[in-house]
Amino acid sequence: MKKILLVEDEKMLSLLYEEELTKEGYEVAVVHDADSAMEKVKSEKFDLIITDIRMPGKDGIELIASIMGMRKDIPIIINTAYQSYKDDFMTWAADAYITKSSSLNELKETIKELLKEK
Amino acid sequence: MIEGYKLQPANFNPDTPKEFVLLSIIAQSFFQPFSLEDNLLVILTALTSGTGIGFNRAMLFLKEGEKLKAAMWLGPRSPEEAEAIWTMLSSPGIGYAEVVEHNRELISQTMESLQPKLKTFSYSLEDDNSLLPTLAVRRKEIILVKEARQETLVDLKFLDFIQVDSFLCLPLVAHNEVMGEIVVDNGITHAPINTKDIELASLCALLAGNYIYTTSLYKKVVEMEKMAALGEMAAFVSHQLRNPIVAIGGFTQQLLNNPCNPERCQRNLNIIQEEIRHLEEIIYKLSHFLKIKIKEPIPIDFKPLLMRILERPDIKAKAERKTISWRIADDSPLILCDPLYFEEAVTNLLDNALDVTPPGDKIYIRACPKNKKWLTVIIKDSGPGIDEKGREKMFSPFYSTKENGMGLGLLFVKRVMETSGGKIEVQSKPGHGTMVKLYFKAQERGPQ
Repeated sequence: MKKILLVEDEKMLSLLYEEELTKEGYEVAVVHDADSAMEKVKSEKFDLIITDIRMPGKDGIELIASIMGMRKDIPIIINTAYQSYKDDFMTWAADAYITKSSSLNELKETIKELLKEK
Repeated sequence: MIEGYKLQPANFNPDTPKEFVLLSIIAQSFFQPFSLEDNLLVILTALTSGTGIGFNRAMLFLKEGEKLKAAMWLGPRSPEEAEAIWTMLSSPGIGYAEVVEHNRELISQTMESLQPKLKTFSYSLEDDNSLLPTLAVRRKEIILVKEARQETLVDLKFLDFIQVDSFLCLPLVAHNEVMGEIVVDNGITHAPINTKDIELASLCALLAGNYIYTTSLYKKVVEMEKMAALGEMAAFVSHQLRNPIVAIGGFTQQLLNNPCNPERCQRNLNIIQEEIRHLEEIIYKLSHFLKIKIKEPIPIDFKPLLMRILERPDIKAKAERKTISWRIADDSPLILCDPLYFEEAVTNLLDNALDVTPPGDKIYIRACPKNKKWLTVIIKDSGPGIDEKGREKMFSPFYSTKENGMGLGLLFVKRVMETSGGKIEVQSKPGHGTMVKLYFKAQERGPQ
């Protein structure tokens, strides 16, 4: 079973994503900030990471940079409400940039694509 | 031995050269926070007053789009009026400030009757056959007109209005761009316009042109800043709204797709209701923030207000298992602030302090008169403190370290302090908690 790490500070949204992705057949670990995400990445193996950008404490962009420094092979999806960061070149390091929407289809499709490539 | 002199002399020594008087007057006015209109009035006054160049009358045109339009007229309407004004203005003790003030009065009187007439003077700047006064800006050249009745290059309608034989057209140009024009004449005394007058007038025109130019640049910058702030706000609001909307949409989708077990259905409906309440709160907070109006600060007795805040149920609930230590002198002076804003600002800060202070720890509130003029209200928490990056950003709109924070609280407090003539200072270091100091203007209590 493929393992996904979800970094999302909004509690209700993390519940929604967790349920929906579990239903798709993934094992989902949820953390609410970047520091806990780093801990998780250090101790467990993941096939894919989904992260928001603006979170309390360390933001998603810094998180991506740290993870890239550690584990270059994990695909990363930025899933955020901000469209404006799309032009920020720091986000280009991620494999996909998705603007949050009430339909989760785009997110699910992107996950499928990225995991297939691996 | 020491001698004192005024920074800005109201009256100059009679031996001081005219040019110097003129320039120093204009320079002084430009350093004041006057409006564009006021500064143009100063220039028109410099052109017409006895201590300035001494033309009888001046008429200002401004460029609007591709038109040159009459905007202001300064001068007496008849020899009798001129006589009265000039006698008054040359009386001892009348300085330049009084002359400008007088001229402002004169313009507002004459403009009432002249406005309809002035409005008819609107010349196209694209007309290749333009006549004077427009010709001067077309050529970007100062033009002196003599024997105007015989001159075919003068617009007859304009001549009928000013009714003089000789006048001077001064184009206002900055960075090779036309800003407007000033026309001066000696319609009352009929004194000839000499070369020296023209040289001095050209200096005034140069200053006026550049002044109009920088004012328009400044306006553009302010406009751009507003747009940038608006863009940032739009991005933030859409983010704030998007999160609850995604949750509502997602959980609704689940309800529609899945054959629902009653428990799950109920849970999803509860989440949806909660998120809708969250949306309402965002809208309320935003509109509340945008509604802050500057109110005249009044002297208030802040101690009862502070006590009331400490008794608020929401504050009491948050303060459970934490200690709020407060010390406020009974004979504290009154402070200047709007009472409602004072309460909201302090509640905001106290709420922040409670959020970061761990159970078992303390929050300190102190109010102490600094001196006769100032009183400080200090709120110190036992939280983790703020690092340099956080301190830089903490007054930026929409910056927040809280999960559902809008990032408007501290900015609100800052605005309240500024509108009360006071200020806010924050001292914080990681590991040492955060201390917020509010400086209020103090006022002694009157006899009871």
